[in-house]
Amino acid sequence: MRVMKTNHIFLSLVLAAAVLVQQAQAQLPNQVFKAAGSPVNPKVTVTWNRYYDHAGIGEICKKIANAYPDLAKLQSIGKSYEGRDLWCLTITDFKKGNADRKPGMYIDGNIHSNEIQGAEFALYTAWYLTESFADTKFIQELLADKVFYIVPTINPDARDGFMHKPNTASSPRSGVLPIDNDGDGQVNEDSYDDLDGDGHITMMRRKNPNGRWKIDPKDPRNMIQVGPDEKGDYELLGIEGIDNDGDGRVNEDGYAFEYDPNRDWGWGWQPNYIQNGAYKYPFSLPENRAVMEFVLKHPNIAAAQSFHNAGGMILRGPGGQEDVGTYNAQDIAVYDAIAKKGEELIPGYKYLVVYKDLYSAYGGELDWFYAGRGIYTYSNELWTPYLLYMKDATRDPFDNATYSFDRYLLFQDAFVPWKEYDHPQYGKIEIGGMKKNYGRAHPGFLLESDAHRNMAFSIYHVYHTPKLEVQEISERSLGDGLTEVTAVIVNSRMMPTHSSQDVKNKIERPDRITLTTSAKILSGMQVENRDLNLSTEQLNNPQTIEVANISGLGSVTVKWIVQGTGKYTVSVDSYKGGTASASK
Amino acid sequence: MRHTLTALVVLLLGNWVAAQHYSNYAEQSNRLQTLAKSYPQLATLQSLAKTNGGKDIWLLTIGTGKTDAKPAIAVMGGTEGNHLLGAELALGFAENLLKGSQSDSIRKLLAQTTYYVLPNVSPDAMEQYFAKLRYERTGNATITDEDRDGKTDEDGFDDLDGNGKITWLRVESPVGEYKTHPDDPRVLIKADAAKGEKGKYLLLAEGIDNDKDGKFNEDGEGGIAFNKNLTYNHRVFAAGAGDFPVSEKETRAVLDFLYDAFNVYSIVSFGSNNNLSTPITYNPQAAAQRIVAGYQEPDARANAMVSELYNKITGSKDAPRSMAAGGDVLSWGYYHYGRFSFSTPGWWVPKTKPDTTRKEKAFSVDDPVANYLRWAGQQGITDTYTDWKPVSHPDFPNQTVEVGGVDPFVLTNPPYKMVPALVQKHSEFLVKLAAYQPAIDVVNLKTEKLAGGLTRVSFDLINKGQLSTHSKLGERSYFIKKVAVRVNTTDKQQVVGGRKITLLNALEPADAKSFNWVIKGTGTLVIEAGCPTAGVKRIEVNL
Repeated sequence: MRVMKTNHIFLSLVLAAAVLVQQAQAQLPNQVFKAAGSPVNPKVTVTWNRYYDHAGIGEICKKIANAYPDLAKLQSIGKSYEGRDLWCLTITDFKKGNADRKPGMYIDGNIHSNEIQGAEFALYTAWYLTESFADTKFIQELLADKVFYIVPTINPDARDGFMHKPNTASSPRSGVLPIDNDGDGQVNEDSYDDLDGDGHITMMRRKNPNGRWKIDPKDPRNMIQVGPDEKGDYELLGIEGIDNDGDGRVNEDGYAFEYDPNRDWGWGWQPNYIQNGAYKYPFSLPENRAVMEFVLKHPNIAAAQSFHNAGGMILRGPGGQEDVGTYNAQDIAVYDAIAKKGEELIPGYKYLVVYKDLYSAYGGELDWFYAGRGIYTYSNELWTPYLLYMKDATRDPFDNATYSFDRYLLFQDAFVPWKEYDHPQYGKIEIGGMKKNYGRAHPGFLLESDAHRNMAFSIYHVYHTPKLEVQEISERSLGDGLTEVTAVIVNSRMMPTHSSQDVKNKIERPDRITLTTSAKILSGMQVENRDLNLSTEQLNNPQTIEVANISGLGSVTVKWIVQGTGKYTVSVDSYKGGTASASK
Repeated sequence: MRHTLTALVVLLLGNWVAAQHYSNYAEQSNRLQTLAKSYPQLATLQSLAKTNGGKDIWLLTIGTGKTDAKPAIAVMGGTEGNHLLGAELALGFAENLLKGSQSDSIRKLLAQTTYYVLPNVSPDAMEQYFAKLRYERTGNATITDEDRDGKTDEDGFDDLDGNGKITWLRVESPVGEYKTHPDDPRVLIKADAAKGEKGKYLLLAEGIDNDKDGKFNEDGEGGIAFNKNLTYNHRVFAAGAGDFPVSEKETRAVLDFLYDAFNVYSIVSFGSNNNLSTPITYNPQAAAQRIVAGYQEPDARANAMVSELYNKITGSKDAPRSMAAGGDVLSWGYYHYGRFSFSTPGWWVPKTKPDTTRKEKAFSVDDPVANYLRWAGQQGITDTYTDWKPVSHPDFPNQTVEVGGVDPFVLTNPPYKMVPALVQKHSEFLVKLAAYQPAIDVVNLKTEKLAGGLTRVSFDLINKGQLSTHSKLGERSYFIKKVAVRVNTTDKQQVVGGRKITLLNALEPADAKSFNWVIKGTGTLVIEAGCPTAGVKRIEVNL
């Protein structure tokens, strides 16, 4: 009996293993044919037409790290307010060089909890890079030179809240640290209420002969405002809920908007009476604090992307009008060149400047990354109504295209039909409207292609972080046993080793160019003009010349006067440019 | 009688001994612990944080009963680590208040007001006064790279004359910008090029260019300064400010505590900034900017009123001009915390008249050091100046280099024997400030029976204090609770007319707001009105 049982268990294990193999390799290799540019038979299968909660994202991260130990490492960079891990995948070719000394790109998503697809877009990047490495030479070269730090969600508490609790497409925007929104001394006493219990917070309407709304003749689910000379028959009563605390206001203090995590960063921060959503001081939210500490420990991060939704935008700072002078011409040229390529790669997305094209926003993540740390940073606002019919459309939730797309391409899956409800304060009303997964989040079948395009933009972005090389080491005898050793260091990509904001404020230390030789180094200098023999001597420690910057697609020339001869090794060491060396 | 009683209390407490000199961290901690032990009913001591230097940021809460339910004044010392007086004023205030706590007036005061005393928010830096090498330091123990060259603490001060303190270095040099003061050769002043004057000396703080970068003492021990690290007008990348605001354990802990202390209506800090002897005036343009840069008009008026009180009590005059440099407590307390915020250095060197018996003449050039030396001389203080003495200096091998000049600390910290009197005056100010406290009251309460079990209840809500319940700017912050008027009905009562809950942004001293409700039902109706900064009044009405 006992033996039998053991056998039984053994058999189940074998079966389970077989199932696992089958899951890992969805098809047999001879049954599939490669579509250009996509992994043909990935080790980690991920379905990219749906969304994952925090546990789901953690699972995928772990699978990627387990499947590709030489390309991906998983760590938690901190905990959220409710104690969830902030997962970070480091993606690079760990067999080549020191990961944290390669020019890096930091990518996160979901800082606003309802803006969920940033997490999938970030994760797709990690997945694609690891799964494509084996048969894509470009990716191999990229991961030899560069490193990605990918944190799919920096707001996991309220991500789960968005998915698992009743919400609109726009709630919650913040994390879950409780706030007394209306200043009455009570916290979260009047939230949305899922009156019809369907997991979605939709709209309330009421028949009213004096109302200013009517049913849209083109789609009876839609409400439209009547013209100025027209009589309506409905009024809209706002978002599903009741006045829980009896203060005469509905839904005024819930968890939907506690604060704005993207007004909590340490550049140009302003308090909440100037910048709505600001909390106590920069990095007063634990998730942002963890990101800040990670970034300070990784001065090799030269590029960053923070995914938001929606509107189809490639945004750069400044967030505040007062900060216009911070973004100077040299840096804007780099920003423009990369983002213009982005507009090409991601149809429907426009390159915009926050303060000018949207609104002034202080204490945003992209401003701290750029102005506070000198990192070239974009925020992509994912999803645009352009993608509905591949032509310009509005973001209006009552826009007809939104309804017709749902009708003909989603088969009305995105809509909660209007249904009668007996409301304790409003009496007989109807509840209905668009579900929370529509309007800002991508519909399933459009998710993967837009994730791919945005990833391609990140790859273009990281490709243009500096790449340094010691291009030349030459000697010239000065007589009397003295030799002049000249070295030229080139940067073959668009970004300088220090953005001009970095140079201006000395954010990261200078780049160091070191000569190692058995000859005696008497003097070292940076050469401003080699042809005309213009140079500036560095008085202290001539072996290592410190240069403020190595510009994009540019070079730096240094020289030393040495006594005696020997072999020469010149090495360059830059936080954002990486390291390189050559010998002669 | 009261005197005897107080003396008796002091006697009974036994171990309470007045300090004879500026207290170091250990002595400050001792004095605080003694207070907490001696007055367990009135004083609670807690540590808000430990700094990177391992020192506690102490908070002494003084009050009776539920201290967080009473309007409060926060008192903060040590905002600048070189300002020892500030810590003494805050700590001395706590001692004075508690010593007097048997008196009727203080008992009454503490029944209505809570004091949050933070005696020293820069303990790491202040300890430098007591260290082997004495120099003025404001930065905490966080290791920083002040000159942003990728190396930390590589060029600090050097005690070239070995006297245990950092004074000054003067170097005879044709490119020097300084010359000796015409009326006091001990003092160096800037030569005025506009008058065709030529300098003779370079003037530097005592030290060597240890890292040979051409700059002296630019990156020594000492990290982030509390009074530069807060959020208002923070100077990112400036030495001592931090790469972003509120980067330090102690700044975070203090702000976290204060933001959650909704009952604080005023914060009084001691440091170089001054809006007490000279109030901040109203500037309409600055006040109206999107990023508010000036006091709102009513808040400027409140500042003037409190300033008058301060000057009356302390008799102060000729205060040095101060301009908040950004990241400071005074500005934060108003612009971001939204409270009535005050700051004073507590003491400054008086403008000193020439003493003809000492053959002194009026100065032809005003200079703070010359003024100090004249004052010190008249006071008989002789040990705070070091005569210029030649030293050999590696950075100036063939030049005449001398070390000497005025001592650190003495321009902003008086001799200790003057401290008790200053403590006395500032204690009086802090006690009298509480008399201005906003206080919600309900007057003209009326009930009228209508037919059918209906009662009309009405009253006027007033603020009987001299400060508004909220600063004008504070009204806009969601970290400040509004004035709430709530009708708490039982299941036998119903509000049929009027609002169950009304929120007011603020109630100014002259304001009265009328309320009336029509209530159906019987029994005792409870109405609560107030806010944490002005107290909550609870009234009961029999229907």
